[in-house]
Amino acid sequence: MLNPITRADFLRLTAMSASLLLIPNLARADDNEITRDMILSDPDAPVAGNPDGDLTIVDFFDYNCPYCKMAAKSLEKIVKTDGNIRLVYKDWPILAETSIVGARLALGAKYQDQYLPVHHALMDIPGYGISQEQMLNAVRKTGVDQPRLDADMATHADDILRLVKRNLNIAEAIGLQGTPGFLVGAYKVNQALNYDGFVRVVADARARAKSSK
Amino acid sequence: MPYVRILGFVTLLLRLVMAAIGPVVAATPIPADHAFQLRAQLDEEEGIELNWIIAPGYYLYRDRIVVTLDGQRVRTVTEKGEPKDDPNFGLVEVYHGNGTATVPAELLPEKGRIIVTYQGCGENTICYPPVSKTVDLVTLLIEEAPAGGGSVPAAVASGGNQSGVAADVATWGPSQASGTATEAGMFSGGLVSTVLAFLGFGLLLSFTPCVFPMIPILSGMLARAGDRLSLTRSFVLSASYVVAMAAAYGTLGIFVAWSGENLQAALQTPWAVLAMSAVFIALALSMFGLYELQLPQSWTAKLAAAAGNKGSVGGAALLGFGSALIVGPCVTPPLAAALVFVAQTGEVARGSLALFALGLGMGLPLIAFGVLGAKVLPRSGAWLARVKHIFGFIFVALAIWMASRALPVALTATAWGAMFIAIGLYLDVPSLLETPRWRSASLARGAVGVLALFYGCVLVIGAALSDYGPLQPLVTAGLVASADAKGADGFQVVSNEADLDKAIELGRQQGRSIMVDFSADWYTECLLMERNIFAQDAVRQRLRGMLLIRADLTHFNASSKNLMQRFAVVGPPTVVFLNPDGSEITDARVVGDIGVSGFLGRLAKVSRA
Repeated sequence: MLNPITRADFLRLTAMSASLLLIPNLARADDNEITRDMILSDPDAPVAGNPDGDLTIVDFFDYNCPYCKMAAKSLEKIVKTDGNIRLVYKDWPILAETSIVGARLALGAKYQDQYLPVHHALMDIPGYGISQEQMLNAVRKTGVDQPRLDADMATHADDILRLVKRNLNIAEAIGLQGTPGFLVGAYKVNQALNYDGFVRVVADARARAKSSK
Repeated sequence: MPYVRILGFVTLLLRLVMAAIGPVVAATPIPADHAFQLRAQLDEEEGIELNWIIAPGYYLYRDRIVVTLDGQRVRTVTEKGEPKDDPNFGLVEVYHGNGTATVPAELLPEKGRIIVTYQGCGENTICYPPVSKTVDLVTLLIEEAPAGGGSVPAAVASGGNQSGVAADVATWGPSQASGTATEAGMFSGGLVSTVLAFLGFGLLLSFTPCVFPMIPILSGMLARAGDRLSLTRSFVLSASYVVAMAAAYGTLGIFVAWSGENLQAALQTPWAVLAMSAVFIALALSMFGLYELQLPQSWTAKLAAAAGNKGSVGGAALLGFGSALIVGPCVTPPLAAALVFVAQTGEVARGSLALFALGLGMGLPLIAFGVLGAKVLPRSGAWLARVKHIFGFIFVALAIWMASRALPVALTATAWGAMFIAIGLYLDVPSLLETPRWRSASLARGAVGVLALFYGCVLVIGAALSDYGPLQPLVTAGLVASADAKGADGFQVVSNEADLDKAIELGRQQGRSIMVDFSADWYTECLLMERNIFAQDAVRQRLRGMLLIRADLTHFNASSKNLMQRFAVVGPPTVVFLNPDGSEITDARVVGDIGVSGFLGRLAKVSRA
């Protein structure tokens, strides 16, 4: 009784109690609602990791964000080592003009199932203020079918834009201030994390999910 | 080794204090406008000087500072920044602490407005989208730039067919799954998780001073058990004490589940609150030695005698059962809430089991105390009197805390002030009379005493000026008024119990119903609820006339813990509705996101109440 509760304990305790109250069903959605479904299962949003994972991480990022790129390495690592995490990518181009270019390239490549290679190629360009040339060069090296990518980006321009707009709305709704943003289970983390940080949040999120079963 | 226990107790107090003043900072970054504060200055010769005050740990990119006039980029002179030479980032210049840009006077008209766009990051944490502000060239007034002022999201938005996108989002709405989350949902979970949750809740409760009265009882019992106390024996005794205490709660659970009575409402009435407060005053007086509360001791003696020998398991159990009633008043709000949950389910077995777990959780630290404490059992002496006095002050504090719900604000503040003055006198007066034995110790005591005196005086004076903030008496009037600050969505944000009380008092004066939204920024559910429910027109319409309060649980500290305990909130998101008199409309309570229609249903209950 002499030990003060740490924040992590508080999260666990709160989550443990709170999640009991939150039936894991999805609340009925009314007009203009941002539903959990939209956040977690937007059919247009690219997904990686284990599709049947017990925990979903939603990644809000920008191809001009240096810390997203730092955190992405740790994120990919934990998704891989954990093996039971489903990862949802939310392209959230907010930092610079070329951010939209990057998002369109990656989301356009999705139509030939090349989202992940293009995404990783773009995330591997270090720094911020990436030029369009740099992005195109990186994408070329992935071996993506370029004429097809051009065609898809034109044909599906509206779909891509709508997806991005949805992502913008979601990010605003959940109060993200900037990039990167992560939803790990029910928890929002609006900053870059290292591997250990991800391990901790994942554990907390699992504890919450577990207690609600 | 009595000093071991004193040390332990002092450590506990210190930690409680530390918890109150050292909130754990949540991992939420500050808004861009806090990270980068823009100021503008006019110099006839030079032009307009833009200056940013940059929060520690944040930086601004030099090459992202852009000034436009009527859509045309204006040449801007920026000072050299610090190079950020991390190979990952490429070659960039950034400003830490302070950044300055100057727009030459000859490029600017007499009147008009320029748009300043800038961008930065938090070191290793977050990058913000570009921020755009307008600066009036005459008044130098800085305002949020209208959408489209160079911000990327605006560009995305305008790039798409607005109405088309909106329609598309709407079609994303209804999900297949349905059903509403209710409080009863707590019990739709597995039995094991229910019991575990209540056990944890009980443990949490044991961190409150509520279990203090039990410690002397338990130690008294163990002391009377004499020298036959082995570790095992004291464990058995403490354990039977605690199990019996838990059983008392379990029994309570059975009765409540049967009757389904709304216990909480009864216990929240002013008379009940004042009665409980009186009980604590009585306890405090006995601690100060005005009289001895012989009752528990004679009871134990009888119980022990009846059980045939000293310190029997049966005696311990009976004592534990009785002790549950002693702790009762202190944990009433949370306990009553647990009981209400139980009552609503009407499931006797499950309800009583849950409350049994609650009692068990509360008692676990007591078992530890019983086992470890047996080795260091006190021989009574001067130190014991002092500890009793400290308990006395704690009881007085509890009494004031409870009564504060039923008493006028100014009276409460006066009571707090009087208590602190009393503490100050208690600590300082003896040291004036006697020659100090340990210099540093008595000096420290004197200093604390003077501080308490000062604090108490401030509170009393503050009460006279009807300016009440027991946790922040030294803040200026301007800061105290921040409790009245309203968020953009009409919610008044409070982060401690005093502010909450103040807000509720306001509702009482104005005769308005109150809605308290317990919310935390790190919890996605809360943010979705704000958007999906509170922002809906249908809901907003029904909320009109109500006093809207948001209890902010984002930062975990003693204040937020008290806030949650105040209305027995198990966790965010929870919405509590209050009658104008401050009592809760319990059947309208919302826990979790229940959708707009569900929420409107609860609001209907509020208007019927």
